[in-house]
Amino acid sequence: MILVWAAEAVVLVLVILGILAESPLALAGTAAAGLAALVLVRALPRLRAALAGAFAGHPTAALAGGAVCALALPFALRTSPYWTFVATLALLYVVIGQGLNLQIGTAGLINLAGAAFAGLGAYTVGLLTVSAGWPAWLAFLAGPVVAVVVGTLLFVPILTTRGHYLALVTIAFVFIFNVLMNNLEFTGGPQGIKNIPTLRLFGYSFTTAPTVLGIALPAHANFYFAAVALAAFATGVIRRLHDSWLGVALNTLRDDEIAAKCCGISIARAKLTAFCVGNFFIGLGGAFYAVMVGFVSPPDFDFGYSLIMLSVIIIGGVDSIPGVVLGACLLVPLPERFRFLHEYRLLLYGVVILVMLLYRPQGLWPAAVRRYR
Amino acid sequence: MPPLELLFQQALNGLMLGVMYALIAVGFTLFFGVLDVIHFSHGDIYMLGAFAGLSVLTGLAAAGAGTPAVALPVAFAASIVITGLIGVAAERVCVKPLARSSPLMTLLATLSLGLVIRESVLIFYPRGADPKPFPWLLPQGAFDVGGVVIRYDNLAILAIGLAAMVAVDRIINRTRMGAAIRAVAQDPEAAQMMGVNLDRTVDATFFLGSGLAAVAGILSGLYYSEIHFIMGVTGGVIGFSAAAIGGLGNVYGAILGGLLFGLVQTMAAALIPRGSEFRDVVAFAVVLLFLVARPSGILGAKSVERV
Repeated sequence: MILVWAAEAVVLVLVILGILAESPLALAGTAAAGLAALVLVRALPRLRAALAGAFAGHPTAALAGGAVCALALPFALRTSPYWTFVATLALLYVVIGQGLNLQIGTAGLINLAGAAFAGLGAYTVGLLTVSAGWPAWLAFLAGPVVAVVVGTLLFVPILTTRGHYLALVTIAFVFIFNVLMNNLEFTGGPQGIKNIPTLRLFGYSFTTAPTVLGIALPAHANFYFAAVALAAFATGVIRRLHDSWLGVALNTLRDDEIAAKCCGISIARAKLTAFCVGNFFIGLGGAFYAVMVGFVSPPDFDFGYSLIMLSVIIIGGVDSIPGVVLGACLLVPLPERFRFLHEYRLLLYGVVILVMLLYRPQGLWPAAVRRYR
Repeated sequence: MPPLELLFQQALNGLMLGVMYALIAVGFTLFFGVLDVIHFSHGDIYMLGAFAGLSVLTGLAAAGAGTPAVALPVAFAASIVITGLIGVAAERVCVKPLARSSPLMTLLATLSLGLVIRESVLIFYPRGADPKPFPWLLPQGAFDVGGVVIRYDNLAILAIGLAAMVAVDRIINRTRMGAAIRAVAQDPEAAQMMGVNLDRTVDATFFLGSGLAAVAGILSGLYYSEIHFIMGVTGGVIGFSAAAIGGLGNVYGAILGGLLFGLVQTMAAALIPRGSEFRDVVAFAVVLLFLVARPSGILGAKSVERV
């Protein structure tokens, strides 16, 4: 148990150092330390076995330690609100990635409209609060519901068709979504929707900077903690679904639809369930983004973001639930860390996906083999 | 209801667009026929074709050989060769290595290759983010048939596009390589047993399809008189839609689908209020209807799975 917590503490310290290291020298030092730790674990089979055994033997302790680390992060980052924001964004990508992974990884439903479904959630929040005057919480909850409903209405007819048609139609949908948001009047056109009210809990606004245990945290810390809860919720739900009969059924129909049908799986119902649950989480991520940033506009939800969501899954590992968490935590902050790369960001995402697909298609944290008992 | 002349005018424009879409769609359908893959970077290959053509044209103009009669054929030939080779390279890099993995992998790989191509043009082509003006090389002027204005440059584009389609038809139906392509499309194993070199046939298919995309790219430059690094995204989606409407794997279906898509787009622009902004929405709605009503496409064979 001590070993588990020690390992997690090392990772946390490395992450914090990596984020706070401003000078290139410090950054290189941190990277070297991280690399050394990685090489050490890989080179010493005894250490590796001990670590693996410790994590396998104390899953609850590992989770608790992880939670403590996640909650401790803003305290270490309190001088840089920007990084708290980036960390929150990474957690949102965990939520979105879990939903998308259920569709793409588990069920093999290639949804390339992730950005559009996130946009549906975000725009719903914006329209309902700013134009219709709904309370923020109600609108926030309506966001993912709208994403699910629109997804169901539009895609039910093609869910049962085979092959690449779903990919085609979802790509078309991203473009249609952007054209509509850009040209319709009630969505604000290219200017988008401004001044989306933030969430309040018992009269306490999420945008006020919190003070926890006498330590003043940046204003985004509220959203960070909420996003930790949301990411944990999404990961938990998707994990339960993945381990349930639904997950097995989806894996089966992904690998061989005819065999799945012969086993008595209702293809249409299973696919629809996966699609709806996935869209719910994608829309939830979008809705949270809207209340956090307070502003939505069409370029925030264009096709490029669909590809970033996709790369989160492929880096982490298709159908792998911890992989999505790893992928989001790597892929969202890293381009921010290397600011000079920002211009090359999408290019790098593309190269990274390609290299991963060609040389390590199972991802950095491959999906575990299902064990039947 | 708009006047009849306007409808004819729009039908003519639709035909122009349709020819370009059809040229892209033929590539999609050829690749699908031979390898059973959707090559999602094909749209960006089309964009590369336009940029290659533009580079050749600017080079020729700088060298003092800018007369249309010389420059255009050279630009077409050079762009077809360059783009065709890039298409073959794309197949070698991200289709062949994934031949044994699931179709999902090829789809994702070609999709990200397209992203890489697009971003490379954006970053590495001089001022790649701006729309690039395309030189006016086709004869200007127009004549009038009962109120419908027919421009010479439009006629030229139509003629070049049709010539390219006839050429494809000839290559596929009259040459040895075409016979090999058809054989592989029907049954790769049987074709190999009959002495067809699979790798060479696949290369030839990708060269042919990508070369056609290059023709479409230059034509769109001539038509819109500007090209943009992002044009491949819409071009690719439309090309794939057209191929799917026509029936994946069927060359004539792809041509038909391309023409239909162009007509639907321009008619939507004419008949619907603010239609030019929403024409893509209407066109994709039609695609959706097609996929629901006839998932195997207009000319596609209905596939039956035996269990």
